[in-house]
Amino acid sequence: MVSNSSSEAELKKVTWELASYKIELHKTTGFLQCILQNATDLIFATDAEGLLISFSKGGEKVLGYSWEEVVGRPIKALAKDPESFEPVMVSCQEEGCALVLDVPFQHKDGKTVYCNASLMDLTNREGQRIGTVAICQDITRWKRLQEDLIQVDRLAEIGRIAAGVAHEINNPVAVIREASGWAAEVIGDAEGLSPDDRQELENVIKQIKAQTGRCRDITHKLLTFVRGSVPTKSEFDVHELLEETIGLLKPELKHSGIEIDLNFAEGPLSVNSNPKLLEQVFVNCLANAIHAVIEKGGDNGRIEIRTVNNNSEVEISVADNGVGIPKEDQGKIFDLFYTTKPPGKGTGLGLPICQNILRQLGGDIYFESEVGVGTTFTVRISVS
Amino acid sequence: MSDQQHIRVLLVDDEENLLEYLSKRLLKKGFAVKATFSGEQAVEVAQHEPYDVAVVDLKMPGIDGVETQKRLRQIQPFLQCIVLTGHGSVESALESGQQEAFEYLLKPVDYDKLLVAISEAYKRKVDLQTAKFREEVEKVQMAGMGPRGIRKAIRELEKIYGIE
Repeated sequence: MVSNSSSEAELKKVTWELASYKIELHKTTGFLQCILQNATDLIFATDAEGLLISFSKGGEKVLGYSWEEVVGRPIKALAKDPESFEPVMVSCQEEGCALVLDVPFQHKDGKTVYCNASLMDLTNREGQRIGTVAICQDITRWKRLQEDLIQVDRLAEIGRIAAGVAHEINNPVAVIREASGWAAEVIGDAEGLSPDDRQELENVIKQIKAQTGRCRDITHKLLTFVRGSVPTKSEFDVHELLEETIGLLKPELKHSGIEIDLNFAEGPLSVNSNPKLLEQVFVNCLANAIHAVIEKGGDNGRIEIRTVNNNSEVEISVADNGVGIPKEDQGKIFDLFYTTKPPGKGTGLGLPICQNILRQLGGDIYFESEVGVGTTFTVRISVS
Repeated sequence: MSDQQHIRVLLVDDEENLLEYLSKRLLKKGFAVKATFSGEQAVEVAQHEPYDVAVVDLKMPGIDGVETQKRLRQIQPFLQCIVLTGHGSVESALESGQQEAFEYLLKPVDYDKLLVAISEAYKRKVDLQTAKFREEVEKVQMAGMGPRGIRKAIRELEKIYGIE
């Protein structure tokens, strides 16, 4: 059977070809998988319904999920705001591709990760949609850097304006202060004043003095804020400085019955920095902590001061069990003039000044807070 | 406040209203006060009248506070200057000056702080002056003059250093 043997050969050939295609396919899949796995960018592929089928190593790193955790989930579930991600997918389907900048994704731990995303619609030879591939670049760091720069610029500008205003205000306030001081002396010497009138006038003068003092407090702090010079540095022990600072606030602590816990790293914590400026930062953090505890009331107020030595930098954290900062206010606490204290009690300059100081000294200040539980401020300074 | 009786204070500030009240208060405390409203005026006054302490504003039209201090100290080397400024931070004042002002105070100043600064500046002035006077007297003694010559020279020095 000639035809039989020839079809047998044919079959053999086809089988062989099929096998080689299969190997080829396997290789290609492996190759693609390899690219996908090792790409530092976030690359994901979905099926036609938008369910994730593939997720790059870069994606695992950027978003914190492993492939097994996200496979089968809709891609939009990874976006910070799934609803607003929907139109992006739609436009990708309509146009065949889409480029969106600055898309907020949500990291497994809740942080927002910003990406520039390029989406492509995949269609097979029959023109059927089979899915979407998205290549995203994590720009969070870059974005934060840019925001910092804008912030620095903005602060510098505000600083210049504020310093100008502070100076202009200082002079008339100084006149008011001297004039009221003189008035006090004239009243003191005046004859024929009834005791009631004298008392009343003395109160008025006292009030003028207090209020000009308030103005002075603001203008002087503002002028400190814009101090542009490079601070001088010297070697000192952070623990010693902290103990001195606590000493400064002893009266307030005693008065409010707050318990202070010191949890210091072993030995002295020697840094090369500016002790005067750092003291200002510590006083601020401690005063805020005391205030938060008092505001909460009750009598189990506690403040813990902890230090950590990380060799190239040291961390000092001040944790209180006070009222905490509401989520909606957390973004504003470093803003100039932002304060929750009643008029005359807070200037809204303390934390921006601290932030400014740490920027100058090479360091950082950040916080974590939960309403009703407390707030922890952490100051990080480089050792040299 | 009898020991303030003889402290001679020179005030220099273009803010006339401020000086009006400040001089009234200082006068009442027993200081001898002269108010001048510009650096030029202060320098002019200092050429004819000795002072112990000058309170100088930093930013003024005409010659500024730094220059004023410099010129005042050329005329009266022992005069101590207190800088009163509403401008910039104390640190920037230090940088701009380096004129060894006795103290820098930010406006609006706390009056009691100013009083303390003035009397401390006065003490410094007297100390420096006395030390220098002693040095000169020693020189006279070493010069090998006769008693009459020494007496005359010392009287001369007493006049220069304002010691009675």
